[in-house]
Amino acid sequence: MIEDLLILLKHDLTGTVRIRNVKGKRSEQRSAWRRYSRYFAAIAVAIVILLGILFMSDLLGWEFFQAVLIDNIEFGSTIFNFIIIMSFMGSIAISVTTVGNSSRMEYLMTMPITLKTLFLEKTIVIIFYNAMLYLVIGTPIIIGFALASGSSIALFSIPIFIIMLLANVTLGVSLGGLIGLAIARFLAGRRRLKQVGWFLGTTVAILFSTFYYFSLFTSEDGFGQIFSVIFDFARMLGLSSDFSPGGAMNAVSLRLIVGLPIHMTDILLAILFLIIPAFFIYANAHFSEAAHYSGWLASGSKRSSKEDIRIAHTTWNPSTLPLIKMSTTTSVSMWYNTASVRREGRVLANYLVGPLRMVLFLFLFLLTPGGDIAGFAPFIIISAMIPFAVSYGVYFAGYELVYEGKNLMNLQLAPASLSDYVKGKVFSAVPFTLIAITIASVLVIIVEPTLWIYIPAVMISSIFLTLASGGIASYSAATGGDFKAERNISRQRGSAVQMPIRSMWSMARAFLLPNILGFAGLGSMLAVGIFIGPIYTYLAVPLFALICIQIMRYYTGKTGRKLQTIEATEYM
Amino acid sequence: MIEAIALTRKFSEFIAVDRLSFQVRPGEIYGLLGPNGSGKTTTMRMLLGLLKPTMGTARINGFDVLENTVEAKRFIGFVPEEAVLPDRLTGWEYINYVGDIWRVPRGSERDEEIDELLTLLDIKDASDDLIETYSKGMARKIGIVAALIHTPKVLILDEVQAGIDPRGAATIKEILIGLRDRGTTILMSTHVLEIAERMCDRIGIIDKGKMIAEGTMAELRLKAKGQQSLEDIFLDLTGGPDMQRIAAFLGEDS
Repeated sequence: MIEDLLILLKHDLTGTVRIRNVKGKRSEQRSAWRRYSRYFAAIAVAIVILLGILFMSDLLGWEFFQAVLIDNIEFGSTIFNFIIIMSFMGSIAISVTTVGNSSRMEYLMTMPITLKTLFLEKTIVIIFYNAMLYLVIGTPIIIGFALASGSSIALFSIPIFIIMLLANVTLGVSLGGLIGLAIARFLAGRRRLKQVGWFLGTTVAILFSTFYYFSLFTSEDGFGQIFSVIFDFARMLGLSSDFSPGGAMNAVSLRLIVGLPIHMTDILLAILFLIIPAFFIYANAHFSEAAHYSGWLASGSKRSSKEDIRIAHTTWNPSTLPLIKMSTTTSVSMWYNTASVRREGRVLANYLVGPLRMVLFLFLFLLTPGGDIAGFAPFIIISAMIPFAVSYGVYFAGYELVYEGKNLMNLQLAPASLSDYVKGKVFSAVPFTLIAITIASVLVIIVEPTLWIYIPAVMISSIFLTLASGGIASYSAATGGDFKAERNISRQRGSAVQMPIRSMWSMARAFLLPNILGFAGLGSMLAVGIFIGPIYTYLAVPLFALICIQIMRYYTGKTGRKLQTIEATEYM
Repeated sequence: MIEAIALTRKFSEFIAVDRLSFQVRPGEIYGLLGPNGSGKTTTMRMLLGLLKPTMGTARINGFDVLENTVEAKRFIGFVPEEAVLPDRLTGWEYINYVGDIWRVPRGSERDEEIDELLTLLDIKDASDDLIETYSKGMARKIGIVAALIHTPKVLILDEVQAGIDPRGAATIKEILIGLRDRGTTILMSTHVLEIAERMCDRIGIIDKGKMIAEGTMAELRLKAKGQQSLEDIFLDLTGGPDMQRIAAFLGEDS
């Protein structure tokens, strides 16, 4: 099994991290910059971090750093737990997606290797992607501190950190994968329930892990009470850190650097958190194999109902609604986009609840001081809507445009405006933004009823923000999207390991620009309302809406023209 | 060598393969024919251990493909209908990948054999290119080389000649006949009835998941009331085109 695993990994990584150009004449010869830049960037980041720490340590003295680290030693535990939870949140649908798309691996599945080995290898590749960023940033920090400390024992913290980091990411990914498989198992064959189940399952998993992280972050305050049993248990065991994988990692790595005592219980806990991920990753492979054979993931279409019921599929055409005018291409595109996302419960859940991860972590730090900023809570909830409005635009217009893949050929051949088609994708995000904003509005009114006056303005602005975001994201997709993403296990729909938009610049533009627009726009409108009068907020809304519409028109127009010129080799 | 015993596969209420039984003997080419959606690919997937039969057993060289999956797969070379190969590898890398998994010893002997197969199928010049640049036929040819590189005792081919140029198709035909003569067991599905007629020692025709006729060409002719060509036999057993509807369609259109 190990030998098979190594062969699979070797060849998988050969294709993924290819540095040299291939010899063939048909293949694109990439410039040295394109081939090496990401590796150089990673090395440069690592070197800058390392030298920065060593320089600061020389400047301020190791004693200063040591004192700061000892005073805030528990913060290491928080950071390490954060890594696990991020890996976990991004991996809930990962195993289900891998198994569900196993037909793309038929060539591997017919080889004399067990499917368990195959799924294990795919999970390891996902772990590799998840751990990469943390390794690039974390390893030089640990090396820097270990070198600066001047203690030879501290050098042991480097391999310990790497091993524990990989183990913790493995824990997050495997646990996420297992939860996804469990949802698939219990809701097998029930399409509607599956959609609801994925939505609820993903939300509960994200909320639970965030609160757990929050409880670690705030120690004994606030949500910490929920998990007080765990902390009491940790203290009872005599652990110098909390009873968590991040805590165990912190105890055997950072404490080693700063020379704090490490208890035997901490070492045993660290060993336990090495064994648990190994068990989980194996369980993940085992249940993935079971899922493949069992047909838990079979789509509704493969499971005919007992009665012969003909379902009439009609397209939803909003053009019939008053004041809404759109071309047939746009309304068909809207319907198609919504239908294709809705069909896969895990994708819909990922799209709808996905922004929650960003929002929770973004505002976790703001909410942490508790009572001190309680007055800002409603504004925090209002601004939490911005990532939702932006992300829905990015997912429904940007990602879904990339996942058109081979269908681009049909679109290019169709006698229809591709700009109109893209607009349909952008519009399809609006109903979802509306639902999310309505929920948030209710929360705001509960927390601070006097703010009701701003709610309609925020709702309208968020909808227009989604339009702008969708427009920008569609152009990012057209210029930097990997139109073969659906064929790539780590990029395909619902995977969340790698994004379907490959270019870093395009991704940055897709997320940063609309977020800046949203925070600046909504922030200014609310500020104007609070300091001058609510009427001025409403006067600003049409201006904001106009800006958003112009942005959408500008970018969807450019996207349409760009899509017409994309060569077939990019997506076929 | 290949045994399908009462193989059944249900997708909820839909029965894709219904108690299908047949045997392919060593050194025999067996053609599995049937209309689209008749259950050919599902049957092959069960024989390969990719799908679990709802009922029945599949055996390769005596090994139950579900109980002894890896052992059974060691004997098999498979060319799928749609070759989904790893886009980011070159043809040469992919074939070596397969060679490594099957533990074909690395070295000049293996390289020469790969070279020989690539040259035979006119794909050597493109073997250093990424698979993502290949046409359907080229990818299919690489898939065939990969299926042959470990000299399998059993070959399962799903529409092997689809999308391949006439010269390539003729080469594949000769290679398959040569392999059969050396004792390789071959199960192939095809819609090109002429190929089946010329190449297959025995033919099984399935429709709606059930075996409706099986035997040599001579035996099939007897069953199909003396029809001479395989195409006539096939249409006789599975139903021919609906001429009335075709005429109506053409009439409306013109």
